[in-house]
Amino acid sequence: VTDSIQRRSGPLFAAPALLGLVVFVAVPFALAVVLAFTNLRLGSPLPTEFVGAEQFRRIFAEPAFVRALLNNTLFALVVVPLQTLLALALALLLHQRLKGRAFFRTLFFAPVVFPLSLVAVVWVLIYAPGPEGMMNGFLRAVTFGAWIPRDFLRDPVLALPAIMLTSIWQGAGFQMVILLAGLQGIPGELYEAAAMDGAGRWGQFQHVTLPQLRNTLSFTVLVTSILAFRLFDQVQIMTRGGPRNATTTVMFEAVQASFGRQQVAKGAAMTVVLFLVVLAITGVQRWVARQGREVG
Amino acid sequence: MQSGIAERLGEPAAHYMLEISLLQVNRKRRIVPHRPRRCLIDGLDVLKMENEPCWLWTRPIRKTEIVLSNYVLALLLAFVLLGCEQQQPPGAVPHLSVWAHAGQAAERKVLEKQVQRFNVQQDDLRLDLTFIPERTYNAQVQAAAIAGDLPDLLELDGPYIANYAWQGHLVTLDDLLSRAIRADLLPSIVAQGTYRDRLYGVGAFDSGLALYARRDVLDQAEIRIPQHPRGAWTRDEFDALLLSLRDSDEDGAVLDLKLNYPDEWFSYAFSPLIQSAGGDLVRRDDYQSAQGALNSRGAVLAMTALQGWMQQGLVDPNLDDAAFVSGRVALSWAGHWDYPRYKDALGDALALVPLPDFGKGTRTGQGSWVWSITRKCSDPEGAVRFVEFLLQPAEILAITETNGAVPATRSAIALSPAYREGGPLHLFVTQLAEGYAVPRPQTPAYPVISSAFRRAFADIRSGAPVRQVLDDAVVLIDQDIRDNQGYAPVEDP
Repeated sequence: VTDSIQRRSGPLFAAPALLGLVVFVAVPFALAVVLAFTNLRLGSPLPTEFVGAEQFRRIFAEPAFVRALLNNTLFALVVVPLQTLLALALALLLHQRLKGRAFFRTLFFAPVVFPLSLVAVVWVLIYAPGPEGMMNGFLRAVTFGAWIPRDFLRDPVLALPAIMLTSIWQGAGFQMVILLAGLQGIPGELYEAAAMDGAGRWGQFQHVTLPQLRNTLSFTVLVTSILAFRLFDQVQIMTRGGPRNATTTVMFEAVQASFGRQQVAKGAAMTVVLFLVVLAITGVQRWVARQGREVG
Repeated sequence: MQSGIAERLGEPAAHYMLEISLLQVNRKRRIVPHRPRRCLIDGLDVLKMENEPCWLWTRPIRKTEIVLSNYVLALLLAFVLLGCEQQQPPGAVPHLSVWAHAGQAAERKVLEKQVQRFNVQQDDLRLDLTFIPERTYNAQVQAAAIAGDLPDLLELDGPYIANYAWQGHLVTLDDLLSRAIRADLLPSIVAQGTYRDRLYGVGAFDSGLALYARRDVLDQAEIRIPQHPRGAWTRDEFDALLLSLRDSDEDGAVLDLKLNYPDEWFSYAFSPLIQSAGGDLVRRDDYQSAQGALNSRGAVLAMTALQGWMQQGLVDPNLDDAAFVSGRVALSWAGHWDYPRYKDALGDALALVPLPDFGKGTRTGQGSWVWSITRKCSDPEGAVRFVEFLLQPAEILAITETNGAVPATRSAIALSPAYREGGPLHLFVTQLAEGYAVPRPQTPAYPVISSAFRRAFADIRSGAPVRQVLDDAVVLIDQDIRDNQGYAPVEDP
């Protein structure tokens, strides 16, 4: 009897978590995949039919969705490296024995704590058009009056960079904390040994810090890339995808289709595409990381 | 007894410890558990020999799975039992559930009081009021509709009535609402609540648009101030007056279009200009296409004019929602709800003017929150009693004096100091009662139409070619109508 109790206790303990995973992750995702091949509309009394790949054909024929994929890619290509570099620089600075280190750590981490929607609203005010806008005023001051005030969030060229800047400002603190933890995990002896071998500050950074941080760095890069493809809040609040789709993203399009226009099947097809893209990126990054490990 | 339970609870834990120590021994001495075990190999339930590590390559018997499924069943049963507990005991006064949008705090309080007053008056009926946040109201109601969890009585945003009626969630009020009250309603209230010639919703108040103007600034520029919708500024007049106002303005922006507002504002506020120019959001004869309506000459004309004002810098972006009260602009294209704030700021200098006439007469937006009875309502007669209660002049005034909206019935208007004949806001009543107000299209396609138009407006604002943007919006709308088989009525279930 004790034997069977022992054997069933494992699955029993795992059951609540597994149940949660199945109900809240596996089932909704499987449903999204199935729905993407139907014509389901939110609340429609018309029967739902399977329409094959029609939704996928349509979203790729839609200029807004194609632009959204491009915007997400561009966003990731710019934000991931910039944000990681900034976070690394901040982490390295705050890893030293500075006066007021705790204060600065709190300061740089603070944007992460604010709700993204609040941050977005504040940045809308910063980007206010006209000479009274903070960003316009700042640029005017640093260019000694040469800057002509622009309406950042309605400018087809500047809107996406404006959102990128907001996102980097908001997200760098989180990466910084993780990198800081990684830095603190590097044993001091390694630096001592490197110093004995005659390595300078740059040499220590190159041959001790970076290799030791590799796992932490690849984690932060991966997480930031995934977040970059899920970009939504800033777009929803700051630009609503405009001007002329310059800042639209896959998530924004999916939400618009599903809840604005009640076209749930189309929204599901978009999220399936998004999932495949993120999966591919994760795969590529894992592969790159493995290559690096083999070389090292 | 108690000690017995403790023993039984302690048993697996003790066994677990034993097992760990055994495993440790195994790892060191390569000795495996000595007891024979039952294992499943290729579907056969066999007894394992001693000294064979069965847990490495076999699967435990199905008993575990049975236990697991029992566990899940027990959990489900627990949920069901908990759910049942909340149901009312039989034989009590019937309760009707009511959902309303959570507006301003003061507005909420008035509605709460109204429900209380109604409950006190009734001895055979009780209402339970639930507030739902305004910004996500429609999404939540739609979700509840899909889950079959709609309340008995429901507040809806006017233009969504057609969609809910088409989905089969609403009952018609034609045979429920008393004729006297119906005859007293403003024509705009009946128009917005009607879908396919049947009334599905009535509101206690309506809305309206106008241009708020600084009388002193207009007088200085020698601009005439129209009093009646008939005398609205023409397009040429309006263009000219914007330019003449600009000459004496500090930053050149003289018009506030409330560009800081979200979403629905754009369809609500600017489709009237399209209609005034002879266009529309969709063809209203059969609601089967937007072709020739949203991309008609009139629509292109109106949207080009709007784009022109914005590109010439005549429009204040109004990020702080204070363009008019702080004196940055002389004109504000706004709803009735801004009156109290504007009046406080300007006093007697505030003038109320109809929107410009782009050829077919001035047009205004209309429509607000309405009450509908759902198909799952157990007592439609009781529910309509509450709607009629809310439409009594005193109750209408209680809510409209709080939210500033236009009272829905003529008898309430006659009692309202602000809206009655000669009152400062009577222009809104004239517009609604004399055919200057156009309901947003009463078709289930409205959410798609509004979404497409909003996007078009945003693109036009950022300088996109008007005709092309409107053509794209027409394609989006028409495709949705086709996808839904023309939104033909669906057979009653």
